[in-house]
Amino acid sequence: MSISAQDLLRIAADWIAQGKQLIGPKRVKPGLVLYARLKDASELALDGFLRPANSIKEAVFPRHEVLYRYRVTGGAVELLDEEFAPAETLVLAARPCDAAALPILDPLFNWDYRDEFWNRRRAATTIIALACHTHDEHCFCTSVGLAPDATRGADALLYPLGDAHFAVRQVTAKSEPLVAGYRDEDWPAMPAGPPVKFDPTDVQAFLEANFDSPFWNGVPLRCLGCGACAYHCPTCHCFDIIDEKNARVRNWDACQFALFTLHASGHNPRSTQPERQRQRLQHKFRIYREKFGEILCTGCGNCTRNCPVDLGVLNVLEAMPHG
Amino acid sequence: MSAEKHERHAFEPKIVAYVCNWCTYLGADLAGTNRLEYPPNVRLIRLPCTGRIDFNLIVKGFEIGADAVLVSGCHPGDCHYTAGNYHARRRWMLFRPLLETLGFDMRRIHFTWISAAEGRKFQQVITEITEATRALGPAGYLSLPNGGKAPAWTPPPPALKPEPSGEEQMRSAAAQLLSSGAVSVVIGYDSHGAPSFARRAEDAERLCFNQQCTANLAVYLKRKEIRALGRIGLVAAPAILRALNVLETESQIDREQIVEIPVGQSSGDPDFAALDSFLRLAPEERMAWWMAEFERCVRCYACRAVCPMCYCERCIAEKNRPQAISPSATLEGNFAWHIARAFHQAGRCVGCGECTRACPAGINLSLLNATLARAAMQQFHYRAGAERGAEPLIGRYSLNDKEDFIR
Repeated sequence: MSISAQDLLRIAADWIAQGKQLIGPKRVKPGLVLYARLKDASELALDGFLRPANSIKEAVFPRHEVLYRYRVTGGAVELLDEEFAPAETLVLAARPCDAAALPILDPLFNWDYRDEFWNRRRAATTIIALACHTHDEHCFCTSVGLAPDATRGADALLYPLGDAHFAVRQVTAKSEPLVAGYRDEDWPAMPAGPPVKFDPTDVQAFLEANFDSPFWNGVPLRCLGCGACAYHCPTCHCFDIIDEKNARVRNWDACQFALFTLHASGHNPRSTQPERQRQRLQHKFRIYREKFGEILCTGCGNCTRNCPVDLGVLNVLEAMPHG
Repeated sequence: MSAEKHERHAFEPKIVAYVCNWCTYLGADLAGTNRLEYPPNVRLIRLPCTGRIDFNLIVKGFEIGADAVLVSGCHPGDCHYTAGNYHARRRWMLFRPLLETLGFDMRRIHFTWISAAEGRKFQQVITEITEATRALGPAGYLSLPNGGKAPAWTPPPPALKPEPSGEEQMRSAAAQLLSSGAVSVVIGYDSHGAPSFARRAEDAERLCFNQQCTANLAVYLKRKEIRALGRIGLVAAPAILRALNVLETESQIDREQIVEIPVGQSSGDPDFAALDSFLRLAPEERMAWWMAEFERCVRCYACRAVCPMCYCERCIAEKNRPQAISPSATLEGNFAWHIARAFHQAGRCVGCGECTRACPAGINLSLLNATLARAAMQQFHYRAGAERGAEPLIGRYSLNDKEDFIR
C-alpha cells in the first residue's frame, strides 16, 4: 500500500506536534529550495524541483556548533560541560545521494576519535529518502556506485508514483513506527538515472600518477577559491575549531580557502588554487578511498550547481585524460 | 501589566561611546573635574581619533548589548591629526545609509563633536542620549518582538540588460593577440558563460559572449597563478572595465600588462528600483527581512570570491588576533560579515551584481551595494570606476562634506 502525500504531511505534522525537529526541502524563494528546519509540515516541498541546493549533512554536522563552554575567573578556567542531547530529528524527502553520505562519513567520525556530536545526532536522526525520478546534466550518482533509488543511509525510501502517492520501502527498523502501515511489496520499475560518466578506478589511477601534471593548471585554474562546493557537498566534512565568547566552537571549513592550509610562519603548502583543486579531487577519489575504502562523493552535482564559475567535481573529472 | 511596567521602570540603558583621545575624552574629563553630573549609563571607550573608529565598532557595540552608540570627536579644524575627523565624517556619511537599509534604529546611533573645553556639552549630550534611549527601551539587537516574522518582499523585475554584443570582434581580436604573441592568455567565457582561458590562437574560437557571460573576469587579475601566465588579454564588458579603473586607482594592477578586449554595452545608470521598493518597508521589517536572509548564509564566501574588489590577502573575516568579526555562521556573525563586506565596497563596488548571482543562499546583496552606490552618487556625485584615474571616494575628504547628522 502506497502512502499519499496527504498522509506524508500528516506524519510530518505529528512529528512537529511532538516537539521534535523536522528537516526537509523548503522553497525559500523562487528558484531556490533548501533543506531547512520546518516549523510547519506545509512548508515541505515534495516536487517541482530536482534537488535542494544544500545537503542534509547539517542535520548531523551543523555549520556552527558549540562543543563546550567555559568560565574564566582570574587565573582559573572552569569547564561548563553540559551533557549533549540532540533533538530527535526526522529528515523527510532527503535525496538518496544525501542519505548515502552519512554512512560514508561514519568511519571518519569514529576513526581515532569517536565524535559524540556526530554519533549522537546520527542516532537521533531518522531519514526517509525520496527516490529521484529525474536528473540533470550535473548528476552522476551512477558513476560512484549509487542510483536514483539507492537505499544506503536511508531508514526508508519513498518513490513518487505520480498521483500524489509514494511507494514505500522500509530499510531499517528505525523507520518502523513511521512507515509500518504503508510498506509496498511490489516496487515500481525505476528510471535508469544519469548515464555513467566515469570509472572511479580510472580516476584514482590518474590521481596517483599525475600529482604534478599540467592538467591541474587547465580547467581547475578558473576556481575562485570559495567554499560553495564544499559547504553544499553531502560528504565534505572539514571543520575549524575556534574559541569565541567563552565557548569552544566548531565551524565548517573548506580546502578551497587559501587560509585552510596557511601556516603560522606564513608558508602555505598549497599556495595556488589549482593545488587546492587537486587536493579536493585527491581527497575525494584517492585519499579517502585508501583510508576508508569509500569514495567521498555521492554524485549529487551540488558542487557544480552552486559554483559561481560552473566548476564541480564532474567538470574536472570529465576533463581528465583517462580511459 | 504591572510586571511589564516594573520592567520598563527598571530598564537602565547602556550607552557605548567611542570617543577620541584629544577632544571628547578631555571634554568628559572636564565634565568630571567641574563636578558636572551625567547619567552613569555611558561606557566611554577612548580611541586615538574618530578617524580610527572602525565602523565595525558600532555593530560590535550592539552585539555586546548596547542600547545606543555614540561616536564623538573633535570639531572640524580641531583634529589633533589634522584631518582624522574629516575622514571619519565622510565614512559615516556612507555608513549611515547602509545601516538604514539594514533596518537599524537610527535613533540609537549618535554622532557629536565635543571639544576639550565642552564639558557642559558632554554632560548635555550624555544626559539627552540616555533619556532618549530610556524612552526607546532595550535595543535587543537581532531579537525581534513577536517572533520577528520576516515580511514577504519580492524585488521588482530588474531592468532589461542590453543584448550581448561584440562576440565576433572579440574572437578575432583574441585570436590576433594570441597569434601575434602580444598576450600569453586571453581570459574570456565559454558557451555556458564559465570563465575560460585561451592560450593558443585556435582556443579563441570557443570564446563566447552571451547572456550567461556575467562573471566579472577582473577577479582573476589578483591571482598569482594567473599573473604568472604572462601578459593577459581580458574580455571586458563595461562592469569589468569599471573594475579595472578601480583596481588601477588602488594600485592593484599594472594596466600595461593587460590588453582589454571590449564587449557589450553599458546598461547606463544603476537601477535603484529594488532598493526604493525595499526601503518602503519599515526599519524593523527590513531588519526582520535581513535576519531571515542572513540566517541562510553558511559563510562560503562565494560573494567575496567572485568580487574583483575583494583582493585582500587576508580578509577581515579571517583575522583572529584579535578577532574583528566572528567567522561563525550565526546570525550575529553573519550580520557582522555582510556589513563589513558591503562597507568595504563603499565607493568601490562597480555594480556587476556577481555577489548576488553567486550566493548559493540567494541573498540579495545587491541591495546593500546599491545603497552605498546611491549614497556615493547623491552625496558625492561619484560612481565607482566610471572614470579612469578618478581618485577614490574614501581616503580623501572635503571641507564641505555634509554633517547635518552630527551634533
